[in-house]
Amino acid sequence: MTALLREARFMLRDRGAMVWIALALLLSAAATGFGIAEVRDQRATIAVLLEEDAKDRANAISKYDAWGDAAYDAFHLTYAPPSKLAFAALGQRDTAPWLHRVRMLALEGQIHEADTRNADFGLIGRFDFAFLAATVAPLLLILLLHDLRAGERVAGRHDLLVATAGRALRLWLPRAGMRFAALALALLLPFWAGALVEGAPALQVLAASGLVLGALLVWWLIVEAVGRRPGTPAALLAALVGIWLALALILPAVAKTAIEASHPVPDGAEILMLQREAVNDAWDKPKAATMEPFLARHPEWRAHGTVDKPFEWKWYYAFQQVGDMQAEPIVRAYREGRLARDRAAGIAAFLSPASLVERGFERLAGTDTQAMIGYEDRVRAFHAELRAFHYPLLFRDPPYDPLAFEKLPRYQPPR
Amino acid sequence: MSAGLSIAREEWRLWARSRVVLLAGVIVAVLLVVTSALTALRVADEAEARAARQASAEATFLAQPDRHPHRMVHYGHYAFRTPPPLAAFDPGVDAVTGQSIFLEGHRQNTAMFADARAGADLGGFAGLTPANIYQLLLPLLLIIIGHGVLLRERESGTLAVLLAQGQSALTLAGGKALALAGVVGAFLLPVTALAAYGAARGEPALTAALMVAGYGLYLAVWAALILAVSLWVRQRSVALGVLIFVWLLTALVVPRLGINAGSAAIDAPGKIESDLVMLAEQRKLGDGHNAADPAFAALQKQVLEQYGAEKVEELPMNWRGVVAGYSEKKLTDLMNQYAEKRMAQEAEQSRIVTLFGFASPTLAVGAASRTLAGTDLATHHRFLREAEALRFDFVQGLNDLHATKLTFADDAKRSADPEAEKRTRVNAAAWRLLDDFRFVPDPAAARAARAALPLAMLLGWLVLLGGAIVAGARRLRP
Amino acid sequence: MIPALEARSLSLVRDGTTVLEDVSFTVAPGEIYALLGGNGAGKSTTLLTFLGFLAPSCGSVLVNGRAVAEDVDGARSAIAYLPEAASLYGHLDAYENLGYFLDLAARKVSRAAMDEALDQVALPREARGRRMQSYSKGMRQKTAIALALLRDTPILLLDEPTSGLDPVAIDEFHDMLKGLADAGRSVLMVTHDVYGACQVADRVGLLRGGRLVGSFEAAAGERIDTETVHAAFAAREAA
Repeated sequence: MTALLREARFMLRDRGAMVWIALALLLSAAATGFGIAEVRDQRATIAVLLEEDAKDRANAISKYDAWGDAAYDAFHLTYAPPSKLAFAALGQRDTAPWLHRVRMLALEGQIHEADTRNADFGLIGRFDFAFLAATVAPLLLILLLHDLRAGERVAGRHDLLVATAGRALRLWLPRAGMRFAALALALLLPFWAGALVEGAPALQVLAASGLVLGALLVWWLIVEAVGRRPGTPAALLAALVGIWLALALILPAVAKTAIEASHPVPDGAEILMLQREAVNDAWDKPKAATMEPFLARHPEWRAHGTVDKPFEWKWYYAFQQVGDMQAEPIVRAYREGRLARDRAAGIAAFLSPASLVERGFERLAGTDTQAMIGYEDRVRAFHAELRAFHYPLLFRDPPYDPLAFEKLPRYQPPR
Repeated sequence: MSAGLSIAREEWRLWARSRVVLLAGVIVAVLLVVTSALTALRVADEAEARAARQASAEATFLAQPDRHPHRMVHYGHYAFRTPPPLAAFDPGVDAVTGQSIFLEGHRQNTAMFADARAGADLGGFAGLTPANIYQLLLPLLLIIIGHGVLLRERESGTLAVLLAQGQSALTLAGGKALALAGVVGAFLLPVTALAAYGAARGEPALTAALMVAGYGLYLAVWAALILAVSLWVRQRSVALGVLIFVWLLTALVVPRLGINAGSAAIDAPGKIESDLVMLAEQRKLGDGHNAADPAFAALQKQVLEQYGAEKVEELPMNWRGVVAGYSEKKLTDLMNQYAEKRMAQEAEQSRIVTLFGFASPTLAVGAASRTLAGTDLATHHRFLREAEALRFDFVQGLNDLHATKLTFADDAKRSADPEAEKRTRVNAAAWRLLDDFRFVPDPAAARAARAALPLAMLLGWLVLLGGAIVAGARRLRP
Repeated sequence: MIPALEARSLSLVRDGTTVLEDVSFTVAPGEIYALLGGNGAGKSTTLLTFLGFLAPSCGSVLVNGRAVAEDVDGARSAIAYLPEAASLYGHLDAYENLGYFLDLAARKVSRAAMDEALDQVALPREARGRRMQSYSKGMRQKTAIALALLRDTPILLLDEPTSGLDPVAIDEFHDMLKGLADAGRSVLMVTHDVYGACQVADRVGLLRGGRLVGSFEAAAGERIDTETVHAAFAAREAA
């Protein structure tokens, strides 16, 4: 205890160390602040859209007097609200859409629509807490601890210090530990404050903090292993920066390239083309070419499955679904391919503490690939509900009654 | 001058003998060569594949059978953005934006299927590209090689000897600058090779040369910073710490803070959000599929007057086609208005990010590099505009057919009468109204002009650091 | 009586070079022993083996009768060590430096005791509250000596203790060492200053090329003869 107090006093007088720690605090506060601003912005967007969406749908429905027309023009907002921890790791939310307005048409034509944000954002990336903790913090730790021994050696104090302390443990451990603790605290305090403001669940915050500490601990061990070696502080720092570069930057990039080469996903444009061709060709084909595969999937409508006129709404929506059905194999391959890549990335991440921390944060914050695919799955499920709601109206064709739309399924985001 | 040269030569010999320098140099060189080769191959493949897709999309459109023209409006077409030659060096926003757009009536779709969405997620950094290595890794390598450039002399005591011999500090600094410049020159070989490769594939010499010059300027800024720190700081370890700190800020932190600031300063709604707002206005325009929509009453009155007709059935052309063309025009104006607003907001955000280049040469060189390569946001926006023009042209061409080749009576009955439906099919030869679409980057002069600001920022940095070097050399004491 | 320090046939090989070879000597409680030798004779190396920083390749070193290899901790806690050209922390003042190092040695020392020690080494009072980066070489050495005094250990290992001190300060330092020895402390100092060694030491050992090549002892009540030692030193160096 007295050793820690001694080293705390000592560190407070060490301007070099305090600069790095103050910088960590500043960056952490900035990352957290920007993160909270962004998720609030996203929540506000969702709230506004929910209102606009309901108004727009009511307006659309009120204009028509046939089930098919109303279904054609009524959009339904689906969304993946940011979690309470999302402020710390925006993750895939910058590249994958978290909003879709879907309607009764073929889903594959709608779900791949990108809610594009500024392309520069996705390219350079955001400065969020996960990035800070995963990539920048280890570098700060390296700068703080690399010359723990070598610096004293160069200054001619090393032997005096060790001889005075008796055991090396009484000296280096408290000194490095105090700097480690100060850095960790400087990083985590703003994050904890942000978590409090956002009301993030304590268990998640605990897990996230554990992740940060665990990864920093690994980096500490690396610095310790290198820092023990004889060498000038500059040589040790150069070696450590090399290791950091390899672990935090090069290894993930190489792994990413290798994974993407070994786990091909179908070209997304193929899905679109296949689905479009199917839907467009249906106009020219005999009605049976559409109704047969449709009724095979939905035998319950066989009794109402004949189409007599050149245009009937039930046939129109049937070929929308048949278009989706034709794209199903490639859609599945696209989904599985992305999941396989994500699984492989999850394994590869064990090679790099930086990747592990970022993926861990994204997992906790629900901003990882799985969460975004989960959102897609929910949109698909909701679209299936929409179809299940409309098909009885389209096939049985009861007299038009707009009140029936009060029972329209509503999209429910996960709790 | 010869004194400077011999000082530089001494430094080169020292570096050539250092195992650390050689090892780091070899690793980065291998990384750079492999990444360059992979990226160049991939981009060449993509360019070919997209050009082939574009041609095949056009062929498929032309091969469609006789149809109602409005069906072709919905059948649609594709526009592909083929990567320019220098994308082999800097693919830029390509991975993030998606490269193809589906073009159809009444809608402006977004570019689909960005690679980034299906990519393996391993955290913060996008995949390695030659441009990334130049922007992030080479400065670090330069720091590791050069941080001791003058402090080595100070620590070994030779600085005092050199100065005592009457060597002027400015000559000394000049020699060290020459030594670092030599390293920068060696670093520029791969980008020069890639630029030459780009030029061989049709890139204008101006942009290819400016690309090399831009990275030369960028690395020169780092070399100048290294020399300045070496002159102003007294200990080698402190110098290395300071330089890595600066690298951390300029290469990792400031660019991302710039993004945060740009996104916080200007709230550019996403497409889904702005589409929803637009839809409310769009509904007022009327549905072009429904010629009886009251929204077209004024148009109807005007056209009837023009042709001296009582009813739309008496008009010499198909009233439904007229409405389709009219409403497409109105709708496109509205969509363009929103699209332009969104693009303007994005451009404004990117302008803010670029202004952070005053604080980070890495950001400045990135902006210059993407602009010169023709893979920047502005080029993507131009692609969106050109694709939209293509869309509008073929849709209006089809609407024209709809108005002139079909009779109103047949068109009105076609949903119920199979015979009338047959008569509304237009001969497939008419599909040839579709224009060829080949996306090409901006002319070299335009790209050079856009890159002027970030390049000027780099030049400003170089001048500033040059001043710091001269001032540091003047006060140099052993 | 158990010697405070003892080297028994001490040999040390580093990176294939023999640094010390078969060195044996003892330092009794209350005795001042000076190891004299030229550059690279192995003087500082000998000190570092007593502190357990270097392990003997052959033979052993003992502190208070216990082998250092068996109890490094015990050896270090019995020894106050003054390294060559000792530099304390430049960003701290003298009090803060003394406080830090003494705390490291688990000793609590009052400000008054610090002042007393600093008075003993004649560090000007007005300098004590200043950061040590502004100190001259001599002032830094004085502060380091004060630290060794404040450790209050039975044994002192001093590496070139008088370097950087002016002649008056050297004389005062020598008087102080004698006082400490009279109080029962053992001192092992290494130096290349023949005159200084003869002035203060009870015995002088001459180290050359890692071997102990001569030993000189004062007759009772007299000092060691400087001329004799100097002649031996010069002759050996020339040989």
